[in-house]
Amino acid sequence: MPENEHSTEDTIPFYPDHIRTEFYVVLGVLVVVLIIAIVAMIKPVGIGEPADPLNTPLHVKPEWYFLSLYQILKKIPPMILGIQGKVIGVVIPIILVGLIFIWPFLDNKPDKSKKIYWIRLAFVIVAVITIIALTIWGEVS
Amino acid sequence: MRFFSLKRFGLLAMLVIALGLFIFISTHAKANTLPTGDQSNPPTSPNWSLAGVQPSSPALVVTPPPPNTDTCLSCHILGQNKGLWTPLARWVLFGSLGMVFVFGVYRSANTWVTKSPWKPLTNRAADWVDERYQISEPLSKILKKPVPRYALNWWYCLGGITAFLFVVQGVTGILLAFYYKPTPEAAYASIQYIESQVYFGSSIRAIHHWCANGMIVVCVAHMLRVFIMGAYKRPRELNWVSGVLLLILTLVFGFTGYLLPWDQRAFWATTVGSEIAGAIPAIGNLAIIFLRVGWNVTGETLSRFYGLHVIVVPLATVTFMAAHFLMIRRQGIAKPL
Repeated sequence: MPENEHSTEDTIPFYPDHIRTEFYVVLGVLVVVLIIAIVAMIKPVGIGEPADPLNTPLHVKPEWYFLSLYQILKKIPPMILGIQGKVIGVVIPIILVGLIFIWPFLDNKPDKSKKIYWIRLAFVIVAVITIIALTIWGEVS
Repeated sequence: MRFFSLKRFGLLAMLVIALGLFIFISTHAKANTLPTGDQSNPPTSPNWSLAGVQPSSPALVVTPPPPNTDTCLSCHILGQNKGLWTPLARWVLFGSLGMVFVFGVYRSANTWVTKSPWKPLTNRAADWVDERYQISEPLSKILKKPVPRYALNWWYCLGGITAFLFVVQGVTGILLAFYYKPTPEAAYASIQYIESQVYFGSSIRAIHHWCANGMIVVCVAHMLRVFIMGAYKRPRELNWVSGVLLLILTLVFGFTGYLLPWDQRAFWATTVGSEIAGAIPAIGNLAIIFLRVGWNVTGETLSRFYGLHVIVVPLATVTFMAAHFLMIRRQGIAKPL
């Protein structure tokens, strides 16, 4: 039996059963959205000073999801092994993204046991903690 | 047939409320009335001569009504002075009920004359549509597709939440785009206008702002879940690839949208953000010129980011989302070990 076919006992129909559970999840998200909307009436997101190209503020920061990347670029020494540090700080993340991009073609053997889940989980935790640490460092510095 | 039925009135009611809110927000701004302070310069018709249109062509000039006397549907008949919404709501409610009543009388008479068996109105409507589109058979095949029980796990709802947040972003984004002006002179003021003058404007902006951040978090969480469970293995490689592309597109959404308020934070975040792109060897300068339209962040950058944010990236995202969902459909949900 191919992997994407199942016996009728361990499946539910997409409609209405699966749709209904997804709908409850959507309702949950909607509640959060509603809370955001109500809070915003009391405390809006707001807007800072108008943009002024001639006046650089003291702490220039990118969005939080680029902050770790920016922190690497800021703290990397100017020269590593005769290559400009900035170039390394950009090229390595790009190579990493490229690796993530083609990852299924590199790791193409089917999983044998659940142990591999834990290995991947540990890997993910290390990566996420590194990124969070860099982000916090960028935020406070 | 039951897929068309209106049994799930709750869903319908939610849709109606959402649509009503959308129309309300997009047709109302508090600025319709005069500001209480300076009355020396009341709002008149737009200065068409600035736009190269001859002011003498009266068909183009719309003079707003004097303050506090908004037009209404039937005021000119009844001589009343009411808002637009009371008569409109009355017409919609009683008008549609009346239509249903008239149609019911007609059908009853028809059934009585022709002796054809009686059927509920919704079933008749569904039959009428189905006779023309012949959609019910393929649709029921799509909808009846069995989904494995192990997919009813909390970890499996992250992708769906991301997709729903994309819809939320789309709706609030359209509402914001109705009021936003992507020029360096007007962008900041239009955000202030949204925050203070548009009904629920601050709520819409806050939803757009926080759901954008939430979407990135949920999107990454979904990717980590897929990675840990090894759900990218053969035959789902392309699904992973399209998913990574969608994550990158989400980040581009965030990057381009961040500039649009045109305040100091936005301006300098974009400056350093495009500096990161500029450090790429070989194509760095090209990337900077593509992003900033020149060497510095200017009004041109704002226009470009706006175009990317509201046209290019959404189209690309919808395309890859369609591919992503189609592959999930074809290959089923990956079975955990």
